[in-house]
Amino acid sequence: MNGLESRRWSTRTIIWIALAIAIVLYAFPFVYMLFTSFKIPIETNAIPPKILPSVWTIDNYVKALQTDGVVASFINSIDTAVISTLLSLVLAVPAAYAVTRYRTRLGRVFILLALVMRMVPAIVVGTPLITVFHNLGMSDTSVALAIAQTTISLPLSIWLMASFFESVPTELEEAARVDGCSRLSALWRVILPVTKGGIAVTAIFAFLASWNDFIFALLLTSVRAVTTPVMIANFQSQFGLDWGTMTALSVLYSIPVILLTLALQRHIVAGLTLGSVKG
Amino acid sequence: MKLRHLLRPGRRSATTASAVAIAAVAAIALSGCGAGGATSSGPKTLTVLVEAGGHAELQPIADLYKKDTGTTVRFVELPYNGLYNRVNSELSSGSISFAVAALDAIWLPAFKDGLTSMNSFFTEEVKSDNFPAILDEAKGGGSNYVGVPAFANSEIVYYRTDLFNDAKNKTAFQSEFGYPLAAPTTWQQYSDIAKFFTKGSLYGTGLPGAVETQYLSTLSQAGEKSMVLNPAGTASTLGDSYSVKALDYYTSLVKYAPPGTAAADWNAVQNQFYQGKTAMMQFWAHAYRQVPTSSPVYGKIGVAALPAGPAGIAGVPGPYYLSIPKAGKNPSTAMDFVKFAYDHQALSASTSLGLVARISVLKQFENKPGYAAFRPMIDTLSAPATITRPASPNWQNIVDNALVPMLQKAVVRGANNSRLLQAAAQQVNSIVAK
Amino acid sequence: MSDKRFAAWLLFPAALFLAVFVAWPLVRFITDSFFTYNPISDGPHKFVGFANYVETFTSPAFANSAWRTVAYTVIVVFFEFALGLIVALLFTSLGNASRVFRTVFLYPLMIAPIVAGLLWRFLLIDNSGIVNQLLYEAHLIPSPDAIGWLSDPNVALFAIALPDIWLTTSFITLVLFAGLQNIPADVLEAARIDGARYPTLLVRIVIPMLRPVIAVALIVRGVDAARAFDTIVVMTNGGPQNSTETLSLLVYNTQIANGDPGLASAMGTVYLVGMLLASVAAVMLIWRPGSEDR
Repeated sequence: MNGLESRRWSTRTIIWIALAIAIVLYAFPFVYMLFTSFKIPIETNAIPPKILPSVWTIDNYVKALQTDGVVASFINSIDTAVISTLLSLVLAVPAAYAVTRYRTRLGRVFILLALVMRMVPAIVVGTPLITVFHNLGMSDTSVALAIAQTTISLPLSIWLMASFFESVPTELEEAARVDGCSRLSALWRVILPVTKGGIAVTAIFAFLASWNDFIFALLLTSVRAVTTPVMIANFQSQFGLDWGTMTALSVLYSIPVILLTLALQRHIVAGLTLGSVKG
Repeated sequence: MKLRHLLRPGRRSATTASAVAIAAVAAIALSGCGAGGATSSGPKTLTVLVEAGGHAELQPIADLYKKDTGTTVRFVELPYNGLYNRVNSELSSGSISFAVAALDAIWLPAFKDGLTSMNSFFTEEVKSDNFPAILDEAKGGGSNYVGVPAFANSEIVYYRTDLFNDAKNKTAFQSEFGYPLAAPTTWQQYSDIAKFFTKGSLYGTGLPGAVETQYLSTLSQAGEKSMVLNPAGTASTLGDSYSVKALDYYTSLVKYAPPGTAAADWNAVQNQFYQGKTAMMQFWAHAYRQVPTSSPVYGKIGVAALPAGPAGIAGVPGPYYLSIPKAGKNPSTAMDFVKFAYDHQALSASTSLGLVARISVLKQFENKPGYAAFRPMIDTLSAPATITRPASPNWQNIVDNALVPMLQKAVVRGANNSRLLQAAAQQVNSIVAK
Repeated sequence: MSDKRFAAWLLFPAALFLAVFVAWPLVRFITDSFFTYNPISDGPHKFVGFANYVETFTSPAFANSAWRTVAYTVIVVFFEFALGLIVALLFTSLGNASRVFRTVFLYPLMIAPIVAGLLWRFLLIDNSGIVNQLLYEAHLIPSPDAIGWLSDPNVALFAIALPDIWLTTSFITLVLFAGLQNIPADVLEAARIDGARYPTLLVRIVIPMLRPVIAVALIVRGVDAARAFDTIVVMTNGGPQNSTETLSLLVYNTQIANGDPGLASAMGTVYLVGMLLASVAAVMLIWRPGSEDR
């Protein structure tokens, strides 16, 4: 029992009900989106609107998946997210380790700069990147998009990994060094396996940052590397807002991350917890 | 014990590492070619940038082109603003992903420096088969033709034939206003009919506050000869008597329109009509063939030319052109496709949008069933008072930052129209001064 | 190799990455602000010194956008924290029994902002939005058209804050909940014995002890809210009457829609500097507590 827990049965019941209502209200928008994805077009725009469809149809899902480029965009989203996550981890893990274990001035400056980078609005970095990638011959590729997305997720990844490294006692490395390991293999063989959970958390957040990105995809892709968020936004046409198809595609796009959350919820909570412990 | 256990190089870490490496290689390999459908390399695929309307129009032409030449036309469809931003962004960076784009007439002035000249295409024969206004806009205000007309469009009046033909309505209208109920031909009639039908849960007319072309048609109907900008393009004509008269008439219709006018865009106006909430609307001609069969008003729609103001009937031409970027890929295939599209424009007439630009094709279809919208469109486009929008490279900027905000303010109760127009004029002046 | 060298080598990949893909574009962006040119005709870049900055500071569009961005940030952060704290306290009052609720609360974090923006646009849109319909049926508003969420310039700024609040309140809730777990029970017990009731406990003990957690979350969320783009562009695209045009949208439109990269760069630079100063100020004010008291 924590210090603020209420012990009275009556209070607990009231709170339980209040929370249940709050959850229902909070979930309503998503549930409504789900219902709308099963409505026929004239009903999605009904004046006045109703919550439930009177005619249920899966046409919207079929149409969404059959639209040219949608399935390809899903594959692009997955590709880009995987590359971005790997990139983020590969860069963040050594950097975070250096910052926590070797408290050099360079490390402190680096952390400060990384935090500053996080403040840069996407458009500021995105527009010059169009030209940079054009000059590198990488326009409209998933790798280019992944790189851009990593610039956003990298500061957070470094920060998270630093928190996790801090909770690992230095005795482990010392023991490894005593046993003859070099610094690098101490990191690789001893520390990383211990922080597997932390790496999982960092990976999840980096994956999400890429999966949910819109503005970089908008700026940096056109035909080959287009990701699904852009396709969803593109369903708005001047002459007919196709809410049914848009909601269907949005639901489909949210399913993978919901499944991911289900599988890894313990790790995600751990990541958030660390955010509070690190003062 | 624990430390020794930790120090043993577990097999797990090795397999994890290799799994990660394999995933990385696979991901990079997959991404290098980008899993997106057909790539635009080689002459076998042509990428055409369109918005929804253009896509519908050009699909049958693309299908026939593939049969004839074997080249696949790949459409990249974007929302209206998205298309403008994409073309702008790509022409600016020089990194062009498309071979052809279907562009709105008002964008040509902004993009003309990045588009290929097509002067050789415009022979006397071609010129005589297109409306002068449409030929004019194909130059984008410059000296070269930078686009080939793909389809013309203009607003027309849509009205509910069931409501207009109802005997009770006819008698009531006749007794209230003194003339028979029929499709409106003047401002006064449009206003009267809108007033008559605004009762209960029905409204007389739709009215957009978030898009500008209906106001611009009203402006032309009032007699304006230089829409928004003077002929030199250096100063705004907003605030003159025509603009005030037009805005006064426009805002007088707000009380006959559903609430939320300030945010009503094309989707809203169209949806309100399809849901049966309004008795009339002014909307683009292509919608006539797109009424959903599940709509309660399906089969009960009539069309007419826009009402005449003091200067007569007038509408804003909304043509689209096929253009080729200078730095684009496959320029010769692109030109070939554009020519093909022009020659087979009749195919576009049977699409869901059903619009064309060539006069000969319009005449071919105007009396066929299902093409009732062509006649009013031709009448509107060929009316003497019809003028084109100014060929200013800053037009989109003017619309977004001066015209539309002004309209949104004007449709609110208690707005001072002439003051709003003058403020908008000043804003336009500062935009074009740069 | 000395420890210092080793650390430097470990930092090297990340530092190189940030230098090439963030610092360099940033430098280009800022230098662009001293020129003016037409990107399409690829005309010459004309050096104009500080002219773009003068225009930025004297343009009402920029001043209004800056003001709106601040207002938006304040609204979003305030509601996130207020609601987040309330729910976190409710969770804490139930202790472990709140587990199922906490799990449900994870999911909003996962939804893409673009999806949330579209969804809320659909919910609030005039005439066919379900929110007004439900409020009307619950007799909370006189007619379904009483509130023009996306059409009334006085309300629109609040309306675009809704998806942002909806998405991140759960994040704040979970972070605060974790922080609340760390408050030693004996301190609270002692205060209770001394006769302190719940409100007093809250204000004199809980919130001060949460201060470091709140500080970090506040700054991070504040920066994120100031940079918000996806939800706003898809809900209102800056309208009606530019009442929801925040700085990110203004810079984007000036760059991409108006084709004025020099001015856009100047605005973006001022925007960035503004955020830096605000963050530094926030860190100074919140992170350096006056006295770590209870």
